[in-house]
Amino acid sequence: MTRTILTIDKLSKRYGKIRALDELSLTIEKGNVFGILGPNGSGKTTTLGIILSVTNPNSGSFSWFGRKPSKQDRKHIGAIVETPVFYPYLSAVKNLKIYADIREVPYKEIERVLSIVDLTGRKNSRYNTYSLGMKQRLAIAAALLGNPKVLILDEPTNGLDPRGIAEIRKLIIQIAREGITIILASHLLDEVQKICSHVAVLDNGRNIFTGQVEDILGDSLQVEIGSRDNNAMLKAMDDIPEIISCEKEGNFYIATLKDGFHSTDLNQALFAKGISLSHLALQKKSLESHFLELLKNNGKTA
Amino acid sequence: MVRLLKIELRKALSSKTFWILSGLYMLVIATVLFGVQGFLDNIVSSTGNDSPVDIPSVSVYRLPDIWHNLTFIAGFFKIILAVIIIITITNEYAYKTIRQNIIAGLSRADFLKSKVLFIFLISLSATVLLLILGLILGFINTIQPDFSGITEKMIFLPAYLLEVFSYLCFAFMVGFLVKRSGIAIGLMLLYAFIIEPVINYRLPSGFEGYMPLKSINNLIDIPNTALMQLFGVQFRNYISLSDVILVLAYTTLFLLISHLVLKKRDL
Repeated sequence: MTRTILTIDKLSKRYGKIRALDELSLTIEKGNVFGILGPNGSGKTTTLGIILSVTNPNSGSFSWFGRKPSKQDRKHIGAIVETPVFYPYLSAVKNLKIYADIREVPYKEIERVLSIVDLTGRKNSRYNTYSLGMKQRLAIAAALLGNPKVLILDEPTNGLDPRGIAEIRKLIIQIAREGITIILASHLLDEVQKICSHVAVLDNGRNIFTGQVEDILGDSLQVEIGSRDNNAMLKAMDDIPEIISCEKEGNFYIATLKDGFHSTDLNQALFAKGISLSHLALQKKSLESHFLELLKNNGKTA
Repeated sequence: MVRLLKIELRKALSSKTFWILSGLYMLVIATVLFGVQGFLDNIVSSTGNDSPVDIPSVSVYRLPDIWHNLTFIAGFFKIILAVIIIITITNEYAYKTIRQNIIAGLSRADFLKSKVLFIFLISLSATVLLLILGLILGFINTIQPDFSGITEKMIFLPAYLLEVFSYLCFAFMVGFLVKRSGIAIGLMLLYAFIIEPVINYRLPSGFEGYMPLKSINNLIDIPNTALMQLFGVQFRNYISLSDVILVLAYTTLFLLISHLVLKKRDL
């Protein structure tokens, strides 16, 4: 009936004088791969702690699946907050049996989730003999016990080597394809850009932007350009209405183009005016520049 | 309930620390209980030689007095079990598994319940151990015991169960409040052997039996052996209902404090 998975309403959390969360509101719909993006200390982990009932908010509320939070609903949420957490002296299987008992899931599920994360071969080794990548994969396996409707990941690739990062990202995308809603907290823009469909940007415990990742990336195109005679080039550019703005960056200029006006169009237009470019590089406007812009603006208003 | 206990047992039964400490406890209990008679005989015979009065020999193992004797002696070693309990709870903080347990779908109340069930199981096991040792030693050292001769003073066993359970609930609360095993164990020992005795000493007479650990230890009084009677001291050779009620109240308080702290605390 309802497509809303999670509603967060004006959550605030203080640690002494520090405001970790300041009236944060957020809605996450079914099927989203929702990125929570923000610098370290922006309140990402605090938010996850609250919605998972391990951190008590000072004020505000949240609801899962339109209901008041309960342990029963938590059993359908798979979550890894901060680092993977297991009993170090137990094997993967014994650890998962504990979580299977907590989630009231039959033990036969364990084989399934271990094969998803490709740990079947090491399932009887003690957890403290695992590499960081394996620990992270085991954490994902534990989170997948009981076919969760939602998967929450907090900096899932933190500290992993490039191969480990690639494995985890592949795994997340694979899980998302099965229709599981994913909430991913990260300070890595690149990660959010690659994996997420939606994003909320947090700064100082406030939600300063929410929207689709596509919207941020797709609204305009940036090209890096240069020519022998930059002054003549700039003058010629004034007459092209499809150029929104142009800023000097290093030896070149960054031109922001209107939707539908491509780099070839720009090249042709300039050539027609007698300007030949010595440099032309496509620059998709990255989440990073948008993100930094948001943070800058937020800093001004705060 | 079975599910919660199963979770707890899976955590404990593969832990080396758990087995080392439990083994140590069983070893100490068995050694002390099997050896205590010889120890006392030794004292009696060595002092008896130049004593003006006849020192009656003490039989620790005679049924049914054995139940009182063994539970009293075993009571001194419950501190080892308390260390086990402290480590089980502080480990949950050290590994952050308490947080992950809640995230995975235990309620905070469930978490507390599973620990209390585990504490009860440990207390029950310690009591069963005493029952077995008592029966072995009792049958070896008693001439033709009849049924009532065996069971008469068995009330000391449930009293011992309560004593251990309550003490472990205290240890649990300390471990829970402090979160770190070393500090928690140190604090518990400090309280049990210095702080509370000092407070007891300062209290006006008549009140000293009401402090938490003192009242737990009071459940089972010093056995009234012939030796003690010789000195003209009379100890209580029964379990007093008011003591039981007091200890139950303290146990409830320990668990209530733990519950409230767990409810309020960020994990």
